[in-house]
Amino acid sequence: MSEAAFTAEVYQNQYLPAGGTVVDAVVTVTASGGTLRPGSAPPSAAQVIMIDCSGSMANPVTKIAEAKKATMAAIDTLRDGVAFAVVSGRNEADMVYPHQPMLVPASPQTRNEAKFAVSRLSAAGGTAIGRWLAMANMLFAGNPAEVKHAILLTDGRNQHETAEQLAATLRACEGRFICDARGVGADWVANELMAVASTLLGSADGLPDPAELVEEFRTMTEAAMGKGMAEVALRLWTPAGAKLRFVKQAFPHVEDLSGRRVEVSPRVGDYPTGAWGAESRDYHVSVEVAPGGLGEEMLAARVSLVSGDQVLAQGRVLATWTDDTALSTQINPRVAHYTGQAELAEAIQQGLAAREAGDVETATAKLGRAVQLAEETGRDDTAKLLGKVVDVIDAGTGTVRLKQKVAGVDAELASVRSVKTVRVRNI
Amino acid sequence: MAAEATAVAACPACGAAVGAQATFCEACGHELSLPAPTGTGAPAGEAAAGRWLTSTGGPTACPGCGGTAFDEDEYCETCGQRRPVALDHRELDLEIVAGVTDRGVRHTRNEDAMGLGVAPGVQVGIVCDGVSSSTRPDAAAHAAVEAATPAVLAELAEGHPPGEAITTAAGAAQAAAALVAGRAPGANPPSCTFVCAVLKGDMVTVGWVGDSRAYWLPDDGAAERLTADDSLAGRLAAAGVQSAEIAQNRSASALVRWLGADAPDAVPHLRAFQPPGPGRVLVCSDGVFRYRPEAAELAELMPDKPPLDTARDLVAFALDQGGHDNITAVVLTYPPGAEEDIKT
Repeated sequence: MSEAAFTAEVYQNQYLPAGGTVVDAVVTVTASGGTLRPGSAPPSAAQVIMIDCSGSMANPVTKIAEAKKATMAAIDTLRDGVAFAVVSGRNEADMVYPHQPMLVPASPQTRNEAKFAVSRLSAAGGTAIGRWLAMANMLFAGNPAEVKHAILLTDGRNQHETAEQLAATLRACEGRFICDARGVGADWVANELMAVASTLLGSADGLPDPAELVEEFRTMTEAAMGKGMAEVALRLWTPAGAKLRFVKQAFPHVEDLSGRRVEVSPRVGDYPTGAWGAESRDYHVSVEVAPGGLGEEMLAARVSLVSGDQVLAQGRVLATWTDDTALSTQINPRVAHYTGQAELAEAIQQGLAAREAGDVETATAKLGRAVQLAEETGRDDTAKLLGKVVDVIDAGTGTVRLKQKVAGVDAELASVRSVKTVRVRNI
Repeated sequence: MAAEATAVAACPACGAAVGAQATFCEACGHELSLPAPTGTGAPAGEAAAGRWLTSTGGPTACPGCGGTAFDEDEYCETCGQRRPVALDHRELDLEIVAGVTDRGVRHTRNEDAMGLGVAPGVQVGIVCDGVSSSTRPDAAAHAAVEAATPAVLAELAEGHPPGEAITTAAGAAQAAAALVAGRAPGANPPSCTFVCAVLKGDMVTVGWVGDSRAYWLPDDGAAERLTADDSLAGRLAAAGVQSAEIAQNRSASALVRWLGADAPDAVPHLRAFQPPGPGRVLVCSDGVFRYRPEAAELAELMPDKPPLDTARDLVAFALDQGGHDNITAVVLTYPPGAEEDIKT
């Protein structure tokens, strides 16, 4: 059946006071149904699993053991015919399966061979995440699959290459494949995982308990297998003379897309969003327009989801100028909600960075504000994470004291999960 | 040769008479070498029921930036401004019925719409004034006249009495105005007023929803207002309160009835009467009568001239007084002409 599988809904207050210029809107894009391309097979897929085999993965030994089980679970989740490979990561990246640096189609036989190869992995050596990603990039390069998905698992700091090397590799990989990054145990670094996930349009999270890996790997692979449309972009039209203040993904996690614009024409830009399965994402668009006369109505932005030149869904952001202050002073609840969520994420990240740098005053202020925002917006999950980093004296006023002793992983968890958002309820 | 130089043709966009040598229409600004703008509704209709014109039909270029590409909802592809449904100034002339509408001075767009029609022994004049506190009021007003003008002629042609024809036409106007709101009408859906005058045989019948008005202006005798505003002030006046006692404040002039998706109802008030002698009927928006609300005062502004000239005079007067609102005047001639008077 050729039903439109994508929808776009715009939430905004289109009324501006006389002279008002800033228009904010939240656009909810929802993809539904299994086959997003009507009348055709799901897009072809490829997956590379990068598993950390550094020496620390043996301490405790459950990390390497659970990582192996999780990799096997992921292999079992691959559809027949999906091209795949498993790479072990140390100071360099090595092929685990197949032996040659290439991808092979999943079949009962190749799955068994791959699982056997994984079962023989042992932990020894260092950590150079960029080298692993470079290997994945090379493996994907010769493959025609539409959805290219990678899983990266690490348990420690990226210490056997420089931050610049990792950044350079990420730039080389950008747009080539999607990567979900996971940290296991207590020693991974949130900023590194977030850099990988952000650049490669995936997700980042930490799993202190290795026992959670199997379910996590299966879920990530299932999601990749469920992608019905590859290489989808958010397309924004803004009028001549308008200035795009920002465009952010607001749900399921905060991601500022503003810097990723690919010019299509003078008033149109594309922002890559990766592959879509049956899922829903929210975007927050903020446009500055030239003020119009009272009663005038203008199109402040047209937001579309496109695949190539095919428009999958479209929404309009409007501006109307009015002298009715009852109209122009309202803030759309969704816009307010995500503005608060973005501020919460920023407060946590800045607070943790200040704490890391020994700036107690800034850290206390920022994390206090974060505790206050988490309380106000009912983010119990975030409040709980923050409670491991600060002693909360009064959540309502954001009065906190930095904890003297903090387990490293608690700060990293608070950081990596700071960008996660929830949808506003009952609106 | 001289006769050819003064020959006139009609503007393809608005139907106004234009000189044979003209490049642009003086009434609507349309470039005469181009066909009528598409997708904005044909301004002239021709049916067995009679002839009719409305002021609907926007400019071909965006008034904001001059761009000529618009999306399916009429937003300019260059600057985002919504294309007006109609022009700032428009003159329609069916000789015995004529109308002029103008944006005025203070408003950024013309949210008034008018429709006029003639059939053997029949004249019709309709004015709809977009409610400026609503969203896209001009779209509601134009949808309403586009629906109501042919509807009232068709009803009359089928033999329905004028009152019934006006009521049916108001229903059509209400449906059309409500449709403009689309699937999500929002808090202030497009809204407009409605006033319709039908001259048939020796009867003058008017119907209205809102605060646009109709006046009777006899050649001899006292002029008279035919409508009572659907506003708090109008209701007080109808109850016999002297107009001087009614505060002309915002709440007193607030509309209590209108057409649109959130309209309480769309049944027009009706009034029919048989004038004792010849005269004219004026159908107009508040942009005209706000400066001279009393019928006698209006009559002083309307010396005996052809309907189009009279409508022009009224609009020019309102502009001269400050043009605080959109201005629309439609003038009809009583008694309506017999069949041979209708130009076909």
